[in-house]
Amino acid sequence: MMYAHFPVIAVMGLFLGAFLVEIFGTKNKYIRNTIVMIFVLLAAVLTFALIKPVMVNGEIITYWMGSWEPVEGWAIGIGYEVDALGLFFGLFCAATFVLSAIYSFRYMDSDDHLGHYYTLFLMLCGGVLGLVFTGDLFNMFIMVEIITFASAALAAFRNYKFGALEAGFKYLVIGSVGSSMILFGVALIYLQTHTLNIAQIGNEMAGNLTPVTILALGLLIMGFSVKAFIFPFHTPVVDSYATAPAPISMMFSGTVNKIGVLGLIRVLYQMFRVMDKEAMQMTLVVIGMATMFIAVTCALAQHRLKRLLAYHSISQVGYVIMAIGLATPLGVTGGLFHAMNHTVFKGLLFLCAGAVFYAAGTTNMDKLGGLSKKMPLTCACFIVGAFAISGIPPFNGFASKWMIYLAAYNKGMETGNFLYIAATIVAVVTSVMTLASFIKVTQTVFFGQLKATNDYIRDVPLSMRIPMWIGSALCIFLGVGYNFVNKTILNPAMNAAFSAERYFDVMMGDPAAASAGTNYTINLSVWNPILWLVLFAIVFAAVAIAIITTKKTVGKVMLSGSDNQDPDGKYAVFFSGERSQYSHVVGSDMFWGFRKNFSKYFDVFHKFHNGNVNDYATYCVVGGIIITIIVFIFVR
Amino acid sequence: MIVLTTILQILIFPGFLFASFIGLLLAGIDRKVLARMQHRIGPPIIQPMYDFFKLCGKETIVPAAANRHVYMLAPWASLCSLIVMCLFIPVGGLTFFSGNADLIIIIYLLTIPAVCLIIGGSSSGSPYAAVGISREMVTMIAYELPLIIVFLAIARVVGRGELVFSIKTVAEYQIANGALVSHIALIPAAIAFLLIIPAEVGTQPFDTAEAETEICEGPLVEYSGKPLALFKLNSSLKMFIMSALFTTLFIGVVYTGNVIADVVIFVAICCLVTIICMTLVHAVTARLKIEHLFKFYWTVVAGIALVSLILVWAGL
Amino acid sequence: MIIINFVVSVLLIFLGLYCVCTRKNFIKIVMGLGIVDYGVNLFIVSVGFNDGGTAPIYALSDLTNGAASHFFVDPVPQALTLTSIVIGACVQAMALSFVIMLYKRYQTINADEIRGLHG
Repeated sequence: MMYAHFPVIAVMGLFLGAFLVEIFGTKNKYIRNTIVMIFVLLAAVLTFALIKPVMVNGEIITYWMGSWEPVEGWAIGIGYEVDALGLFFGLFCAATFVLSAIYSFRYMDSDDHLGHYYTLFLMLCGGVLGLVFTGDLFNMFIMVEIITFASAALAAFRNYKFGALEAGFKYLVIGSVGSSMILFGVALIYLQTHTLNIAQIGNEMAGNLTPVTILALGLLIMGFSVKAFIFPFHTPVVDSYATAPAPISMMFSGTVNKIGVLGLIRVLYQMFRVMDKEAMQMTLVVIGMATMFIAVTCALAQHRLKRLLAYHSISQVGYVIMAIGLATPLGVTGGLFHAMNHTVFKGLLFLCAGAVFYAAGTTNMDKLGGLSKKMPLTCACFIVGAFAISGIPPFNGFASKWMIYLAAYNKGMETGNFLYIAATIVAVVTSVMTLASFIKVTQTVFFGQLKATNDYIRDVPLSMRIPMWIGSALCIFLGVGYNFVNKTILNPAMNAAFSAERYFDVMMGDPAAASAGTNYTINLSVWNPILWLVLFAIVFAAVAIAIITTKKTVGKVMLSGSDNQDPDGKYAVFFSGERSQYSHVVGSDMFWGFRKNFSKYFDVFHKFHNGNVNDYATYCVVGGIIITIIVFIFVR
Repeated sequence: MIVLTTILQILIFPGFLFASFIGLLLAGIDRKVLARMQHRIGPPIIQPMYDFFKLCGKETIVPAAANRHVYMLAPWASLCSLIVMCLFIPVGGLTFFSGNADLIIIIYLLTIPAVCLIIGGSSSGSPYAAVGISREMVTMIAYELPLIIVFLAIARVVGRGELVFSIKTVAEYQIANGALVSHIALIPAAIAFLLIIPAEVGTQPFDTAEAETEICEGPLVEYSGKPLALFKLNSSLKMFIMSALFTTLFIGVVYTGNVIADVVIFVAICCLVTIICMTLVHAVTARLKIEHLFKFYWTVVAGIALVSLILVWAGL
Repeated sequence: MIIINFVVSVLLIFLGLYCVCTRKNFIKIVMGLGIVDYGVNLFIVSVGFNDGGTAPIYALSDLTNGAASHFFVDPVPQALTLTSIVIGACVQAMALSFVIMLYKRYQTINADEIRGLHG
């Protein structure tokens, strides 16, 4: 059972790498990059090597730290337990680590203190992977704290930027409140069950919930919601995704908030097993709907690129929470798939935003424009990411959003509850508004007219482009081959979420019990492959013909005063007969009809996000109290 | 063999050739009837076809500030998605592709031509185009909400308690139980759908995105030659598809036993629908401002559709 | 299971949260975070208390003799509390270093004035 050691080696390797970078890597760039690359690749390779035993053969790997095996059915050591659900999250997190590391080698080149940056980066990676693989509740809390520290420091890494320190401090305060509540919940659970092993807690608590454990449930939900950054706990995140360097934003939006989602799944599905109660499902669906809608409408009012992307991150996590709240096989599959797709396309979008920042020096959309002529490959990757997040076929966002819509209205049909139909409608409308937001960004940043002062911009270097290409390829592959993805990794993960009863036997030493889980399958038939193949051939042929038979244009960008190459103005943009000027319609000027009609709503939310730490903490606390009260009233 | 049949279906019937012929015909009938309503003589009915061939012969000028690849690709992508949509609509009772989630696929496919218009306009680099695409996007947000409510209501009625989204099932239900328009609960949904059609197709009073007088035709301002011909063709195809959808979903298919007669009756009903919801409204109204358009769709039309959904849910 | 400890720890947690939510000075906010941590630590260490038990320091051979007179408090919460104290100290150190840099940057540490990122 060689592979039983893989999870521990992966996690400890990352922490060891952080330590080594701090000792050896502060002065020499090549040593540092080598150490980072070695340990990140090691973690990724080991995680992928676990697919075969866990996903294909259906085992659950248990590893007791220090060989403290359980005694008489009582867990006395810290156990690492890798099941299909944890491995699913671990896979895309590990891939994100690799891509982020490759991107940051070149992107962070001009910064100082890179030794500290990579130390914190490896600590963040280790924390994320540790939380994914662990089977012990207090270990989960420790990993949450490691992630909070590393994230707060990394968010403020470029402390000369406007707002970086402020964002880091707010993140630390809110994150700290959340993790203290997690710790309080852990202590309450220990009070009741006198054990810290997740499988054992699930076994003891399922079905007999006392007021103490219900309070613990409320606190744990609140704590993990703070880590997942859903409404109303999302406020510090909007700032810190924007000020963090781009590869770190990719890590935040791709891995850190998935940790919150994984924590919620573990708490609700495996420890407390309350997801079969109607009230719990409705609560999660309502929270998901609120998060989706509020975040996407606030995003439409932003004029800084990374802040807009941060709001969209929050909105997509709202989709995931809503799908998980449905508690049907199709819903959970859709939610998990959307979590993975979100990491892929949101990471791609943040990397493109980073490329724009690297090339142009600003992410204020009102100052950019026409960049597709200078950075064509970045523009193509950004369009792929924008279509993926809006849910346009054939990209991956379409496949997972499709599953979520199907799941929501199937659930509405089964239970006859109008809330789920309303959830479907809100989800579709949010999708359209996401599309609107990205059309605005594409038009403002990439299309349109280039400012004369931006003529020096060149496309980004190769090592920054490779992660973007890999991200785009994954978007397309996951969208087209979703049946394959479903069979190999999604289905085991979804079944793992539902079959929590068998964990206890496996942890206590009976590995054969792993195969006795639920075996739901879902059936999706969306695409007819022959049709799309023929259509693709037709489009390709037609486009080739069309491009060949058009006249060539003058290739340079022309602004006022350059009449010598185009004396008739034939290739200039039409200005109703006036002299050609620079007039670029930017993000703040778009969507007038929408903004006017929603102006009161935007006022309310402008005041809601007022930047004050006290108010953000108040929203946190009030949200937590409401969740605890709901849990007390409805979960018995 | 399947590939050959599929290619024939895509290209000839009910795919590209048939749909474009009928679409251009509908556009011509629309212009002729509008002219007659405005007390003029109007162009011949096949004028849009003349326009299409004329535009194909003109020079394509790609402006210097435009992104060439996206500019050329946008009309083709839009055309392909419209052709795929044509294959889902049962023309004269023949269904070609039907799965169990057709209506949701159609909602998705309906967004693709609008997105392609937006991306094409955006890539041409003109500020008129930027204003036009901003309005087009707001229009799209505006009509998506009532559209999905209407489809949910239909699916609930047809499935008799479950949600069924297959158009084939809708057609069979109507043969068995009479046209869906005859259900009291679905009359508001039919009215809402009739109001959505002009916004989708882009005719007055909801063509704020392509306002000829204000923003020089919006996203299409820098297009010329073959790409412009394709965009005009897409617009006509959309006219055909939307009226065909209305006919299929609400009025049902009239079976006379002869396939040709079925198709002719189908096309005739599409003409009637076009005249009622597009030409008539065009002739008597002026263009709306974008904020009024948005408010209209999200309050009045969505309200009508919601009434229908609630009535259906309550079991009427 | 000492009731007074539990009551006091819950009071401390609420006091700390109140401090974070209403005080404008950043240092006071950090103090509030610290008070929340102390409250939680007090709670954890009181969870394992057995009335009349001794400190849990034994050799393994003493325990496995089968003598029934060993009655000690639960050692696991004490380990958890030690870890949590360390974490609390680190959080406060990092937060205070943020406050120092914020003061250097903005010459004020009032929450109402440091809110550049809003909307």
